[in-house]
Amino acid sequence: MLDQDRPWTAFYGPSVRKTIDAPKYRTIGDFISATADTFGDLPAFTACLPNGMNGTLTYRQADDMSDALAVYLREVAGLKAGDRVAIQVPNCLAYPIAAMAIFKAGCVLVNINPLYTAEEMAKQFVDSEPAAIVIVDMFADKLIEAMKGHPIPNVIVTRVAEFLPALPKMIVGAVQKYWDKSIHPIVMPHVRLPDAVNAGHAKQQSLHNSLETYRSDIDPDDVACLQYTGGTTGVSKGAMLTHTNILMNMEQTMELIPNLEKGKEVALTALPLYHIFAFTVNFLGFYSIGARNILIPNPRPLSNLKRAFENYKITWMSGVNTLFNGLNGEVWFQDTPPKHLKFASAGGMALQGVVAERWEAVTGKTVLEGYGLTESSPVLTFNPFGKTRLNSIGVPVPSTDVRCVDEDGKDVPQGEAGELIAKGPQIMKGYWNKPEETAKTIQNGWLLTGDIGVMDADGYFRVVDRKKDMILVSGFNVYPNEIEDVIAAHPGVEEVAVIGVPDGASGEAVKAFIVKRDQSLNKDALRAYCKEHLTAYKVPKAVEFRDELPKSNVGKILRKDLRAEEKMKAEG
Amino acid sequence: MVGPLEQAILALMIFVIMLGMGASLTPRDFTLALKRPYGLMIGVVSQYGFMPLIGFILASTLPVSDPIKIGILIMACMPGGTTSNIFTYFSKGNLALSVLMTVTSTVFGVILIPIVLVLYAGALDLDIPRENIIATLVLLLVPVAIGMVLRKFNANVGAVTEFMGSMLAIFFILFLIVSWIPRNWEFLLTTTWATYFGSIVLGLFGFALGYGFSILLRLHPRNARTVALETGIQNGPLAIAIIAFTFAGTEAQSIMAVPVLYSLFIVITSTMVTFWFRRVNTANEQPLPNGLL
Repeated sequence: MLDQDRPWTAFYGPSVRKTIDAPKYRTIGDFISATADTFGDLPAFTACLPNGMNGTLTYRQADDMSDALAVYLREVAGLKAGDRVAIQVPNCLAYPIAAMAIFKAGCVLVNINPLYTAEEMAKQFVDSEPAAIVIVDMFADKLIEAMKGHPIPNVIVTRVAEFLPALPKMIVGAVQKYWDKSIHPIVMPHVRLPDAVNAGHAKQQSLHNSLETYRSDIDPDDVACLQYTGGTTGVSKGAMLTHTNILMNMEQTMELIPNLEKGKEVALTALPLYHIFAFTVNFLGFYSIGARNILIPNPRPLSNLKRAFENYKITWMSGVNTLFNGLNGEVWFQDTPPKHLKFASAGGMALQGVVAERWEAVTGKTVLEGYGLTESSPVLTFNPFGKTRLNSIGVPVPSTDVRCVDEDGKDVPQGEAGELIAKGPQIMKGYWNKPEETAKTIQNGWLLTGDIGVMDADGYFRVVDRKKDMILVSGFNVYPNEIEDVIAAHPGVEEVAVIGVPDGASGEAVKAFIVKRDQSLNKDALRAYCKEHLTAYKVPKAVEFRDELPKSNVGKILRKDLRAEEKMKAEG
Repeated sequence: MVGPLEQAILALMIFVIMLGMGASLTPRDFTLALKRPYGLMIGVVSQYGFMPLIGFILASTLPVSDPIKIGILIMACMPGGTTSNIFTYFSKGNLALSVLMTVTSTVFGVILIPIVLVLYAGALDLDIPRENIIATLVLLLVPVAIGMVLRKFNANVGAVTEFMGSMLAIFFILFLIVSWIPRNWEFLLTTTWATYFGSIVLGLFGFALGYGFSILLRLHPRNARTVALETGIQNGPLAIAIIAFTFAGTEAQSIMAVPVLYSLFIVITSTMVTFWFRRVNTANEQPLPNGLL
């Protein structure tokens, strides 16, 4: 591909590779072991609890423990290459150990949201048919019901304070059990994670080069992760991400995250690791440069992050709009923003311009917004450091092509809105057991994102909105994001969501749902404000104040839920 | 009433409690306090303005003996107790503010407590050994400093120390129930209603005034709840320690009746207030989705 086809490469830094032909390592397992050899005794993962109690594993420790757990999975639990293993734990030290072990064993990782209900878990179990699960004790009581459709033969139970020093581990355990009463008896047969690791260690002694064998069992194009998605669109589908997909995306993304010093960075991981952005970028990306990853089991309430900011010199963090917006509003954060922070990265959902600006005002550092989908492992575009454009998702990462096309798949003229489609080594193999869905989403090698975007003359992209969220007011296309950005900038507004509702006169009308920051805000004042900033047909015809807005697991505001409510109301 | 062994245990407990308080702090907490002195000033005014005044009014109007008057005054002049942080947590108040108020009132206390104490004692014509009290207070800042260093040195040691400190504050009440009450319970039966009354309403008036004052100054409800609890809940163990270390014989024992009764009853009243606060308003926390676990 020539440079004129990828005008954005002009904005890459001088050290950025314009194309990446192949990942540096064959499989994720190879990558993990080789990286551990490089960084050995440096701290790799630190779990930091709200009260400041913490535990740390070095690169070597994490490597050894995950080796042992991999041996356990293959030799003791009897799993084969390609068997699925589910992980259902919040951010804590057990997560990286389990994930790394699964890759080393040549198995397929299935991330499950720890807060899923038994019913939601059951659906994912039936679809992915895991042979083993690593689950946190707090949620293990849901297993019995969740396993009705597909019983999982091997249950490995862990805890939030796993691998913490003895005393803090005991205190946290006691508080959870007797005070919070969040831990219930587990009635089914199970093994504790440390016991599984020990059993693996013991087995390892009698075997030779077993780990090399597991790794050679798998091909770079074998599936590494089944990453479930579709919570915002309906049916949940497992995106098949291969070792190459994930390793490539990790390298592509890290190319555009500059000024990082090997072995010196401290990353804050408040986003859940089961989410693909935190998984590829926080977990693997920062592992690759020898960073120390601070894992936050529960960032709710946000004051849970205070100790992590006080006790560690955070140099980089990732977040979603909701997290940045929340931190902007915390007094302790405003008064003592992290002074070692170099910059932050945002993804997962649109970063509102006003949130980015407030963040810069509070911390003095930029937020680089990126864009991607679970189906693309996930990163497609990122803002290059120092060349950030507000409200832009930046430029495609190396070896990635992004276009804007019309309904017929033809390129729209530059500057006009069209559906974003993307091609690159990070695009998934397809959906697990859903060939029709795959055929709808990947056409001629291009991933159809379902997002409407615009490319400017330099090759910077901007997401206008989701294709299906577009509102048609008297024949005009109205994009909810644009209106949300305007309303969010009103100082009296905490959060906002905009949808289209059926309207006799105009076909559809704009409706805004607002959570107030300032209780005195009223509908008339808000509409008057909108009129100053928006063309008449874009001004919300209806405004409704709410105490909160429906959100997805990572904090994405769910417009579809609001639309469903409106539909119910309309139908009586 | 308090033997040498109990005194030693008491001293150790206070040491750990203060150590825990120190371990909850970093220098940036003080930066924060200086940046927003408004909230802090409200706390100091509540703590050393209102509370001693309540104590003075109670001491001068209730029909009690001189030692009980001294007890009420000392109790009223104490800084915030660490238990206030626990109740603030459960009433969904501003924990950071609570910790900060407890610490600053303790630090300011070294100067302010002797001043207000001598002032009101003088007005009531009571004799108070000022130097001993100052010495005890200064001594108590040592474990706070050690706690801060511990935390800086190792976050886990700090967090465990902090946890132990706040647990001990609760354990202290048990200590009183197990050790003090059985041996002094004849005394409890003969104690006048006025002593009970003074010990109980001191905390209640503290809650009410702290809350009213904060609302008047238009503090956020979360902060108002915090100031209320912080004002009403005093450092009982500290009062007992000060009395044990500065007074002697039967006088010490009578004076101590007030902080002991106060410490026992404040747990009950604080629990009630906390339940009420929780009911009144829990919706002020920033809403974040469940899944951000």
